[in-house]
Amino acid sequence: MASTDEEIEVRALGLAVDFLDVSKEYIVNGKPIKALSSITLNVKEGEVAAIVGPSGAGKTTVLNIIAGLEKPSQGEARVLGLDVNASNEHSLSAFRSANIGFIFQSYNLVSTLTAEENVELMMELAGWSDSGRNEKLTEELISMVGLTDRAKHLPAQLSGGEQQRVAIARAIANDPPLILADEPTGNLDQKTGLEIVKLLARLKGEKGKTLVVTTHDDRIVEMADVIFHLENGSLGSIDRPARVRN
Amino acid sequence: MEVWGALIGPLGFATKSLRRRGFHSYLAFLGLTLTVATTTFLLLLGQDLATRLGDDSSMRSTFGISWLIFAYLVLALGLIGIVGLLSTSYLVSSMISQRMRDIGVIKAAGALPRRLLSYVTFEALLVIVSSCLVGALSALLVYASWSWPSISLFKQVGPIANAGATILIVVPMISFLLAYMVASVRVRRIVGSSSVNAISKQLANLDLKSLGKPLRIGRFGSTFNLATRNVSRDRGFNKTLLSMGVCICLSMIVLSGALVSADTSASYVVRAMPPHVLIVANSNIYNQYVSLATSFSRIAPLPPIDYGNESYIISPQNASAFRAIPGVQTVDTRLITMSSITGYVKAHFASNQDTGENINTQIIPEVDTGSINALIVGINATSAIGDWYTSDGFLQSSDAHYTMIAGDSLVGNIVQTPFNLSQVSALGYRYDVKSALVDPLNAGRVLYAPVETLQKSLGLNGFNVLLLKVNDDPTVLSAVSQLASSFGLAVGSQDPILNSNLTFLNGIWSHIFLVPIITLALTCGILLSYLATNFSRRFNDYVILKVLGANAWYRLSLLTWEAWGVLAISMLIAIPLAWGISIFFLVPDPNLSLGDLELSTLVSLSALSVVSLASATIYSRRLGLTTVKDLKP
Repeated sequence: MASTDEEIEVRALGLAVDFLDVSKEYIVNGKPIKALSSITLNVKEGEVAAIVGPSGAGKTTVLNIIAGLEKPSQGEARVLGLDVNASNEHSLSAFRSANIGFIFQSYNLVSTLTAEENVELMMELAGWSDSGRNEKLTEELISMVGLTDRAKHLPAQLSGGEQQRVAIARAIANDPPLILADEPTGNLDQKTGLEIVKLLARLKGEKGKTLVVTTHDDRIVEMADVIFHLENGSLGSIDRPARVRN
Repeated sequence: MEVWGALIGPLGFATKSLRRRGFHSYLAFLGLTLTVATTTFLLLLGQDLATRLGDDSSMRSTFGISWLIFAYLVLALGLIGIVGLLSTSYLVSSMISQRMRDIGVIKAAGALPRRLLSYVTFEALLVIVSSCLVGALSALLVYASWSWPSISLFKQVGPIANAGATILIVVPMISFLLAYMVASVRVRRIVGSSSVNAISKQLANLDLKSLGKPLRIGRFGSTFNLATRNVSRDRGFNKTLLSMGVCICLSMIVLSGALVSADTSASYVVRAMPPHVLIVANSNIYNQYVSLATSFSRIAPLPPIDYGNESYIISPQNASAFRAIPGVQTVDTRLITMSSITGYVKAHFASNQDTGENINTQIIPEVDTGSINALIVGINATSAIGDWYTSDGFLQSSDAHYTMIAGDSLVGNIVQTPFNLSQVSALGYRYDVKSALVDPLNAGRVLYAPVETLQKSLGLNGFNVLLLKVNDDPTVLSAVSQLASSFGLAVGSQDPILNSNLTFLNGIWSHIFLVPIITLALTCGILLSYLATNFSRRFNDYVILKVLGANAWYRLSLLTWEAWGVLAISMLIAIPLAWGISIFFLVPDPNLSLGDLELSTLVSLSALSVVSLASATIYSRRLGLTTVKDLKP
């Protein structure tokens, strides 16, 4: 775990995600269930962070808190400088639509919108009202993920890999500095998963985005600058691969 | 809780499933309960009103007006029943559709169709049975509490024992049977279809033809554009639109029908007794005429009077003198008398064709249809002031001398249809019946005949009542009063009589208007359920939007546009259609005031807009409580 001195130094450099002693409890059938227990972690801007661990370890809860979809029960969570605890639902929605891109394991595209409309939706949610510019940008993003000929298809008409590629295009549609991906290759076969990993790598390399990814996929873990191991809601260890340390 | 959790089999499956689907199960239950409760209550109320009004107005009103009122009530109750049943079947169908994917998953996991059928049907049955029971109980409670603080009508008539006991049992029972039938058909269809279809229902629910260039109107914003795409691509949209359209149309017929019927019945009275008319007669005849004219709205004994008394007769010369007064437009000279009349159906031939080509003709002998005391009015066809609603026109100067027009309360008993076979015997002569009219005079027990014929029958040369159509000017009244007093006659305006009759009529309709008002509330409730179940089908999409950063205002705006869009299209078709039906097909010679039309349209639009906003608000608040964990894979 990083020392306090290092943390202060890192904060000064610009942290995309900064958790300090974050805990999260749910009440299920009247009994408290601890999902996270005093997690302290941080992700620098431009880094790829992988969160790994068995099912039920609290990976999705970490992502939810980063996205401002849930608030910590205890501790301090800052995302791109925003104090999640101190923000209300409205400002968190505005923050999310402007700063965070989502990639889900099960894609979660809006069923009634075509591939390109799903991408364009993020721009509208971010308040970009120039439809001509939005359409042009959408075209570029759809082309980037290699789906130009499938742009006018509904999610139900696309394969899993294609849907995930649309989800990636959607995640960067509003040019957010932070992208959260929840097991993005979890539902895909090896080959399709590889295409997604390559796309994620492009997001880091070409677009300079900060990525926080929960995953079991070694190919994504290999790509990560920092790896957080979660077990039973606690942070087991933090690894920084040799290439990063060097 | 633990006991339920430990249950296995259909009951355990159903209770767990309903509990865990929480909000969505609750919505289905609430929608069905509301439909059953309101339909039952409205039918109870309608039957109650019909019984009470029937008792109350049988001694007053006229047959034509009563027919209008009761025909409306029967139609309204019929339509309410249809709306209730349609709504029940739609809600049950939507409830089952929401479970389509889960059914597919369970089937794909290897559940035997028969077992799956019993599990899912049992789940639906739990909702249906509880809704029907709670609905019936709620209807009974509301009905009892509504009847208890007795309104004036109840005081007059008193309590009605056993009113609506049948309805209270039959309506929830029919709702249950229909709901069960729809549920089992839907479940059977889903269970019978392939698992792949059931699981990938997303595609099945989308209309792939509408994927062209989407509608994009900048000024309405992103939510409007998104709503148009969602609504236009939803295959269930057409079904929802049809269900809502039928529901709105039938409910609007109940509402507009009440307004048209009320306005038309009032117009019948006004046409028979127009305003700005003065009654001129000997004071005894004058008082008698006022009693006869108000017998429509109040029960008061008519004193016996010798209508043909010489001192009551106004000579033709004196009658002409009134015509000379400036401001007097028409003088309607009448000779009235009360007499026993007997009705007949004339002997006639009746032909009927047997199975072959033979036509059998037989003679039907004359039939006596009974006797009654009726008011006979001798009238000059060319100067009659009234513009009655008639079935086949009023008297013409070209009509035979022994021709009569029958008041509506005589039709169906003394006077039978067709009128060309009907005759009335009065004052020793036989009259042919030409037509029937709606007339408050003597509560419709009246016959109009040419005045010359009546004069001849009674051996009189003059009139006993003059009706003067005058300008709305006090100086005319003064001039008429002066002349009348010089002839020893009394004068009074017909307006108070008209107002008294209209007040009575308004009193009846004010009770009946409870039916359309509560029907409007029922429609709002049903539409709220329709919209909510429609939202439930696309819940995942809304959660995605929330997760992606759509704020509360964006979500509310999107849901409101979607709800309003569906409602607006339904209303655009249904409301004009309902008005058309009400105006052109509901009542003969309809009348509708522009104010009523504007008011009812405004009320309907406001109520339905409130419904769309309410459904959007409820769902938006529900979405506020969701997290990414609520997303279905």
